[in-house]
Amino acid sequence: MFWKMDNQKNTDIQSEGHTALTVEALRHVLANMEDAEFMECETNHDQTITLIYIRTLIDSERLNESIIGPLNRCTDKTIPDCLETSRVSEIAGMSEGVKHLIEGSVLLCDTLQNKWWAVHLENPLGRAIEPSETETVIYGAKDSFTEQLEDNIALIRRRLPTTALKTEKFTVGYLSKTPVVLMYMEGLTNPEFISIAKEKITSIDFDQFLDSSQIAVFMEDHPHTVFPQFLQTDRPDACAYSLGIGKVVLLVGNSPFALVAPSTFFHLFHSPEDYFLRWVTASFFRCIRFFSYFLSVSLIPLYVALTTFHYQMIPLQILFVLTESRSKLPFTPFWEALLTLITLEIIKEASLRMPTKTGQTLGVIGGIVIGEATVAAGFASKVLIVLVGISAIASFLVPTYQMTKSTSIIQFGLLVLSSFLGVLGIVLGMIGMLAHLNGLTSLRQPYFAPVAPFYGKDWNDLFISSPLTWMKTRPGYLRPLQKWRYSRRR
Amino acid sequence: MATCSLYAKTSGYGGIYVMLMVNRLQILYFILSMPAYLVHPYMIWGIIAIGVLSQCNLMILSRWFASKYAAKGFQGFVQLFGERGVRFLAFAALFPVFVKVTVLTLGYVEIVQMFIFPSMDKIWLLLSVFVTCFYVAQQGIEKTIRFVVIAFLCTIWMIVLFFPFILPPLATYSNLLPLVPTEWSLQSWKGLLIVWAALSGPEYLICLAPWFNSNHNLIKYLTLGNALSILEYLLLFAASLSFFGSDYLRISNFPVVQIIRYLQSPVFERIDIILICIHLFHFVFAAALLLLYFYGAVRIIVGKWHEQTTRRGFVLASMAVLACMMIINQWFWTTGEEQYKWLALQVWLGASTYLLVPGLLLLAMKIKERLQA
Repeated sequence: MFWKMDNQKNTDIQSEGHTALTVEALRHVLANMEDAEFMECETNHDQTITLIYIRTLIDSERLNESIIGPLNRCTDKTIPDCLETSRVSEIAGMSEGVKHLIEGSVLLCDTLQNKWWAVHLENPLGRAIEPSETETVIYGAKDSFTEQLEDNIALIRRRLPTTALKTEKFTVGYLSKTPVVLMYMEGLTNPEFISIAKEKITSIDFDQFLDSSQIAVFMEDHPHTVFPQFLQTDRPDACAYSLGIGKVVLLVGNSPFALVAPSTFFHLFHSPEDYFLRWVTASFFRCIRFFSYFLSVSLIPLYVALTTFHYQMIPLQILFVLTESRSKLPFTPFWEALLTLITLEIIKEASLRMPTKTGQTLGVIGGIVIGEATVAAGFASKVLIVLVGISAIASFLVPTYQMTKSTSIIQFGLLVLSSFLGVLGIVLGMIGMLAHLNGLTSLRQPYFAPVAPFYGKDWNDLFISSPLTWMKTRPGYLRPLQKWRYSRRR
Repeated sequence: MATCSLYAKTSGYGGIYVMLMVNRLQILYFILSMPAYLVHPYMIWGIIAIGVLSQCNLMILSRWFASKYAAKGFQGFVQLFGERGVRFLAFAALFPVFVKVTVLTLGYVEIVQMFIFPSMDKIWLLLSVFVTCFYVAQQGIEKTIRFVVIAFLCTIWMIVLFFPFILPPLATYSNLLPLVPTEWSLQSWKGLLIVWAALSGPEYLICLAPWFNSNHNLIKYLTLGNALSILEYLLLFAASLSFFGSDYLRISNFPVVQIIRYLQSPVFERIDIILICIHLFHFVFAAALLLLYFYGAVRIIVGKWHEQTTRRGFVLASMAVLACMMIINQWFWTTGEEQYKWLALQVWLGASTYLLVPGLLLLAMKIKERLQA
């Protein structure tokens, strides 16, 4: 349905001006396309059928097995009856024909009767289902999404085998014609979220989308913040869990990452493994993750604040070490920290762009050689190098990679504030950050829930991961239609 | 002109917000200096007595929240006092709001300069604190109400740090005696007045009634908030008194800040620097709320309450407050005597508004009901 709306809104560049579906018209549309094939096939009945397809998009083996072979053997049956596939549909207009072609169908034309059929024979190009590389777990399912939309839907459906799991398909991008599937649990997910998600998808107007993150940009309530308002995950179990508690999931064609919303700031710190480990262990490590995030954004600014303004806060023994370490440095603590952090960001970015083995070498060079050399050359103190190392490692404890990236920006902001106002500057920055988080929304729902607004009952899965037996209700901030997680009230 | 919905209402807020707001509005500037004014051990009973009085006042206030006028917000006030009356009241409220936000901000900046940045120009500190308050306020009243949860969670834990001072060996229990007053002077009355002024703040919630969910059960949350504040005041006073003793308290400026200096930590010394900074969380909340009140009052006075709020209008109102604050800081907050006068003004204004506002509302409701009958 949305496809029709989409076609009305965006001009299909190539089919413009060709409404009647004829072979000649198609030849014109498919001109200068090397992989476009026109072939004629004769049935046993001496009937000539024209086959039109795009070679690179279809499965050649299945073309012979399902279409050419059966057509050659065909006697007096109609064409759909001859074919050994059930995915045959009759088509009429040019735009419909072109749509089928670019989706990997073979068009069959009975020139005598001037009838057209489309046989879906898409070549399922893509990798196999592999373990997630971005959200690795020791326990729990190992499969992750691929670029194949159908596979991704199947991975979720297998985890939630119920007819309440609804999937609605949309197409966005008038060039890329990217399929987007909105998934939700009917009778459980708040209908407001579903309607907002639909409204946001249908209002997208752009030429192409190559990844789900690009769609998130168009759907976010606050596109200029560093905080992601859609949780991006490639884990089907995380998606199934989110659907089960009342969120919506968006799967995007050719992207192995699903979007989950409404998302909260705290949800970004939750790992799928939290629900598979013993609750005490999971809670401890979740708290460590929150602490690490705090550490990663504030440790270096705190170093600058203490060494610039508040020497009196440092215990005497540590002060001796620090003074000795900084005695021959030519830079102020701010510049020392700034240059070191920029160097670290360069190394981090370079190691990501390098092939795996080179990346490891770069890590060694960056971490040991440059670190050592910087201290030996007198550009940075040993203490700062240690703190930068701790801060960098701490930033990687956050399970969501988007958040890991955003810590650097916040860290630089706090660094500047601490260089002007010391600890007060850091606190002012923190207040600003928390006020900013308090003002954010995801699918128009508060981003800082369940802290602000306050939902006390949802705190059992906030900083700690309570035993599943204690999580009797779904999160209140999601306002699900079914509050209880038990099928029978106890 | 860019419009913004500073006073929009999209959802209701439960009693927990009322509790937190009552508590944080009662724990502002005076908590840092109050032991120096109370001095005598028997003033512990003074805090409890004033706490009970404050509770009575909150019960009157709860009658307002339960009334049909409160839920109507501005229109409720118009029904009670008429348009002219509301404009007059808004005009009258401007001064206490302005004085409260000024004393709060300048007082805090003074503490920061005294304990953290003795050589820094206060203007920079004032500007940075004010910009943060403005940022919180410009998000609107709803988000400012929500911010109280953050302010509460980020500051309440500090009270735990004072427990070692009420336990041996740091505490000297003989300092807590005599608990029965042997003398009663004008200073003692002033002490009680300061406690009353310190507990003021909940009267500012009268304008927020439309944002609250269940106005009928608010007394429970008002009570909890007030009780928590009294407990905090008691703990801090008892800790300061048992650690310093009455004689030192008399000459100490900010005993609650001074006492933290004696805490030993393997990681940091001078923890007071961190604690003073963290106090900013609820100072910012209170100042942001007051800034929104100030702008709202100005809109009522100029007769624009029915029009959409504008970003420019709010910026101009905030700039006016900032300019006045800077003028006061530059010329009228220089000597200790001048600062004392401002504090005294705030004490009298806070005590008066807390005493009069709930009573005035109750009286107006009674008169209205009688006239309607």
